[in-house]
Amino acid sequence: MSNFDRRRFLRAAAAGGFIYAFGHVPNTVMAQMAGSYAPFNDYRALVCVFLFGGNDSWNMVVPRSDAEYAVYAASRQSLALDQTTLLPISPLTPDGAQYGFHPAMSGVQQLFETNRCAVIANAGPLIAPTTKAQYAAKSVPLPPQLFSHNDQQDQWHTLKGNAQSKTGWAGRMADVLSATTSGQQLPLNVSLSGQTIFQAGEQSVPYTMGPEGPVEFFGFAGDALADARRQGFENVVNASYDTVYERAYASVQHRALQVSDSVNAALAMAPTLSTTFPATNLGTQLRTVARTIAVRDRLQMNRQVFFVAAGGFDTHNDQVADQPGLLGGISDAMAAFHAATVELGISQSVTAFTQSDFGRTLTSNGDGTDHAWGGVQLVVGDAVRGRQFYGSYPLLEIGGAVDVGGGRLIPELSSDQYAATLARWFGVADTDLETIAPSLGNFATRDLGFLI
Amino acid sequence: MNSRVYVVATGAICALLVGCGGGSDASSSSPPPPPPPPATITRAEAFRFLNQASFGATDEAAQQVISQGYEPWIDAQLALPASLELPAVDAAYAAMAPPVNNFAPLQGDRVAAWFENSVRGNDQLRQRVAFALSEIMVVSEVSLKQLPWAVADYYDTLARDAFGSYRQLIEDVTLHPAMGVYLSMLGNHKPDAALNIRPDENYARELMQLFSIGLVQLNLDGSTTLDGQGQPIPTYDQATVEGFAHVYTGWNWAGGASFRQARPSIANQSLPMQAYAVQHDTGQKLVLGYPGAALQTIPAGQTPVEDLADALDNIANHPNVAPFVSLRLIQRLVTSNPSAAYVARVATVFNDDGTGQRGNLGAVVKAILLDSEARTTPAADTDGKLKEPLLRLTQLWRAYNVSSGSGKLVVPQLSDVLGQKPLQAPSVFNFFSPFYGPPGEITDQGLVAPEMQIATEYQNTQVTNYLFATAFCYIPKPLAVCPARQANSPILDTAAETAVMANSGQLVDKIADRLLAGRISPALRTEAVRQVDLIPTNLPELRVAEALFLISSSPEFARQP
Repeated sequence: MSNFDRRRFLRAAAAGGFIYAFGHVPNTVMAQMAGSYAPFNDYRALVCVFLFGGNDSWNMVVPRSDAEYAVYAASRQSLALDQTTLLPISPLTPDGAQYGFHPAMSGVQQLFETNRCAVIANAGPLIAPTTKAQYAAKSVPLPPQLFSHNDQQDQWHTLKGNAQSKTGWAGRMADVLSATTSGQQLPLNVSLSGQTIFQAGEQSVPYTMGPEGPVEFFGFAGDALADARRQGFENVVNASYDTVYERAYASVQHRALQVSDSVNAALAMAPTLSTTFPATNLGTQLRTVARTIAVRDRLQMNRQVFFVAAGGFDTHNDQVADQPGLLGGISDAMAAFHAATVELGISQSVTAFTQSDFGRTLTSNGDGTDHAWGGVQLVVGDAVRGRQFYGSYPLLEIGGAVDVGGGRLIPELSSDQYAATLARWFGVADTDLETIAPSLGNFATRDLGFLI
Repeated sequence: MNSRVYVVATGAICALLVGCGGGSDASSSSPPPPPPPPATITRAEAFRFLNQASFGATDEAAQQVISQGYEPWIDAQLALPASLELPAVDAAYAAMAPPVNNFAPLQGDRVAAWFENSVRGNDQLRQRVAFALSEIMVVSEVSLKQLPWAVADYYDTLARDAFGSYRQLIEDVTLHPAMGVYLSMLGNHKPDAALNIRPDENYARELMQLFSIGLVQLNLDGSTTLDGQGQPIPTYDQATVEGFAHVYTGWNWAGGASFRQARPSIANQSLPMQAYAVQHDTGQKLVLGYPGAALQTIPAGQTPVEDLADALDNIANHPNVAPFVSLRLIQRLVTSNPSAAYVARVATVFNDDGTGQRGNLGAVVKAILLDSEARTTPAADTDGKLKEPLLRLTQLWRAYNVSSGSGKLVVPQLSDVLGQKPLQAPSVFNFFSPFYGPPGEITDQGLVAPEMQIATEYQNTQVTNYLFATAFCYIPKPLAVCPARQANSPILDTAAETAVMANSGQLVDKIADRLLAGRISPALRTEAVRQVDLIPTNLPELRVAEALFLISSSPEFARQP
C-alpha cells in the first residue's frame, strides 16, 4: 500500500528538503488602475537586498585621501578602518577626495571599477530637503520616529512620510503596472525573506517563497488517493469562513496550492548555473532569484521585483569583529548574483539595490554604533551608470554641517528619489512616479540618473 | 455584528468615565445589564478558555474547569510554582563528556525543556503567560548560542515573574545577563569624550519602545492620543534615549575581578548583572516626563543601583504602561483585536488591582481571562486570533497525550518547520509585530492579525507538511512508507480514533471533539468523511491519518476562537 511517492514523502517528512517549483497564480483582481501602459516587449527585474538592523555604511564606503580620512578617523576612533586596507576606487567624476570600499568588499569594488556599481552617497527617509538648521527648528516636516528600527524600515518600504500607508512602493508598482503584466503566471512581487509591507499593494498580493524556492505540499500528487486528498484540502481551503483570521489563513493556503500546481515544472527547466554563490542565506536567496529569472519566459514574466534580505547589521557591539563578515557577505553575494545574470545573458535587465533601516552614528559606544539616519546604498547591474557617486559624500565630522548629534547625518537624497529612479527604469511612467514616491515633488531631481 | 459595534461604542464612552471596569458596559443610555454568567460551563466553553489560558485544551483539563469554575481554576494556577528549564540544561551538561568547548547543543535541551513544561507542566497558565512575555520582552538564541544557561534562566525568570509585579519583572529583565548581552547593556560604560564614545543606546531605546510604553502616547483604552492637529504625540525623543543610556552604564557579568575582566561562567549566566561603579556615569540624566512623574531628571552622584531604581520607577509609572502591556497580553492570550473597552477594563486593573497595587500581573491575567469579551460566545468576525504554529503544535500534542520513546519531545529543524522556536526570534521585534495585518480585508478595516506575518505561502506549506508527517507517521502504528522514528520523535495516542475508525462519521467527530471542541464546520466534516470513505477498513491507521491531517491542517483549527 504505497499511496504516495516514498522518496518525495521522506523529503517532506524530514521537512528540511525543498522541492523547486513554480506555478500559476491567476490574475484575479487586475484592475481599475489607470492603464496607459503598452505591453512590455522586454524583461526587467529589480532585486531589493534589504540589510536588516541598519548598516553602518560609513564603514562600507570610506574616504581614503589624507584630509578626509583624518576627519573620519578622528570621528570613529577605534571603529575606523586602517587607511591602507581600504580597497581603492576611481569614480569617473571625482569630487576632489578619494574613496575606498571596506577591505572585505572586493567583489563590489570590482563591479564599481568596471562601471557596474553605483554608490548613492547619503540617502535616507526625508519628506523634503532638510538642513541642520531646519531640523533644529522643526521648520520642515520630518519622518516620524527617526532612529527607530521598524519605523524607519517602514519608511524605506512605504515612503509614507507622515501619512499612514498600508502599501509599499513595490506593491504600488505592481498595482500601476497590473494591466500590462496581467499575463504573468507569478505575482510581480516575490519575496524570499518573509513578508514585508514593501511588496503589499492595494490590489496586488506578493508571493512568498523560501530561500531555496517554494516547497511543495506533501502527499497531494501521485495517485488517485493523493488526488482526492488534495481535492478535499482544496475544498476546505475554498470554503467560506466566519472570521477574518480563517479567511486570511485560507487565502494564503489557496495561493500556495495554486502555485504548487505547476511549481516544479518551471524551475526544473532552469539551466544549471556555473556561477558559484556563497554558502550563506543571502547567497542562497540570490541564487534562487537567478534561477527564477532564468525561467522567466516559461512563466511569461516581463516585470519582477524580488525581495531578499540579510540580518545582523544592528552592530551595537562587536562591530569591528562583525563587519568584515557582514559587508563581505553582501559583496560576495551581490557579485555572484551579477555574474549569474551575465551568465544568463540578462545583466542589462536586472538591477540589484540595497536598502537598510538607517545609517549609524559616527560616534562609538565603545565597541559599536547606534541608530542614525542617512547612509550609503549600492546599485548593481549592467543597466547602472556605474563607477559614479550620486549625491555628495559628506565630510564625516562630528558636529559637522549635517550632523544632528552624535554623528547622525541628515540624508542629502531622499529614499523617494532613490525609489523613483528605480521605478522609472522599471517602466513606471513619469506621471505615476508620485504614486510610487509620494514626496518626490518636494525634491528638485526626479531621477537621480544612476540607471540608463 | 451589531452587538459588536454597540460594545465598541459604549466602550469608548466607558473609557472616559471612572470605574467602568468589571465588564459592565454602562452608558448614559442605560442598556440592560449583561446577563449573568451561565451556571454551568459547557465543554466547548471550557475548551475555549483553556486554549487561551494553557498550551491546549484537553478533556482532563476541561473537566477540571467545568467542575471548579473559571476563577477557582485560575486561582489554583496562580499559586503553582514555575516549572523550570535551567535544571534540564544542567542535567544535559552533566551528561556531556568533558572537555566541552561548544555549548550550543545545550540550546536543544533548553527547547526540549520548553516542550516538556509547555505540554506537560501543571503550571499551564504560568507557562502560557511566560511564553507571551517571551514574545514581548524578546531575547533570542540567535545572539546567545554559547550561553544556554542564560537563555534558559531568562525564560525561567519570565515564568517566575509572570504573576508578580510589572516593576519587578522589568528589573529582573533589565538585569538579566541574557538581555544584557542581547541588547548590549552588559559592558556598556560611561562616556569618554576624548574618544567620541558615548553610552550604548540599544537597551535604553528598546525597553521603552517594545517592553513598556511604546513610541506614542496612549489612552487608557489603548488608542493613540492625538494632539490639536490630529497627530500622535511621541512619548520620548533622542535626548530621553540618551538619558537612559547613561543610566544603564557600569553593568557587567557578576563576580568579575573588575568591569574589564568580567566574563561569563556557567554560574553567572543565571545571576543578575553586577554594577561596577567605576564605569557608571554619575552625571544628571534626563528621563521620561509625564503628568505625575516623580522626577524628570535623575540627580547626579548616585550609584548605579540607585540610578536604575529611579529609572525603572520612572518607566513603570508612565501612564502608557497599563494600556501598552494589557493590549499585548490580550493579543497573546485572547484576541488580536480587542474592543477599546476590553483594553480599558484590563488597563484599569493594571493601574490598580483593587488593593491599590499597580502592575499586579496575576490580577491583570485574571482580568483578561474573566472579561466578558473573553468569556461570552464569540460572535464578531474579529473575535479570537490566529494560533501561531508552536501553539497549534502544542495543542495537538496535548489533545493526543503526546509521548516519545526517550521521554524527550524533539522536532528536528524546528525553526525551519514552524518558522519559530522558543526564544529564537530573528530580532527583538519578535517573530511578528503586534501591528501587522495582512493585505486585504484585515488591513482595509484597520485590524491586525500579528500571527499572519509568519503565515506565508512558504511557511504554511512547511507547517502543513509537518502536520501531514504527524498524522501519517507519528502515530502508534506508522504507515509502512514512513521514515524510521527517533527515540525522541513525538507520538500521538490515536487509539480512541482507531477504535471507532470503521464508522467514518464517528471517526471524524471524535477528532473534531478533541481539536475543535466538537464544533466542526459542515464543509470540513464532509471532506474528511469523504476522504476516509475512500479507504477500506482493513487499513485503520490510514483512515485515522487522513481525517487527522485534514482537520489539523484546516483553517478552523488554525484559529483560536
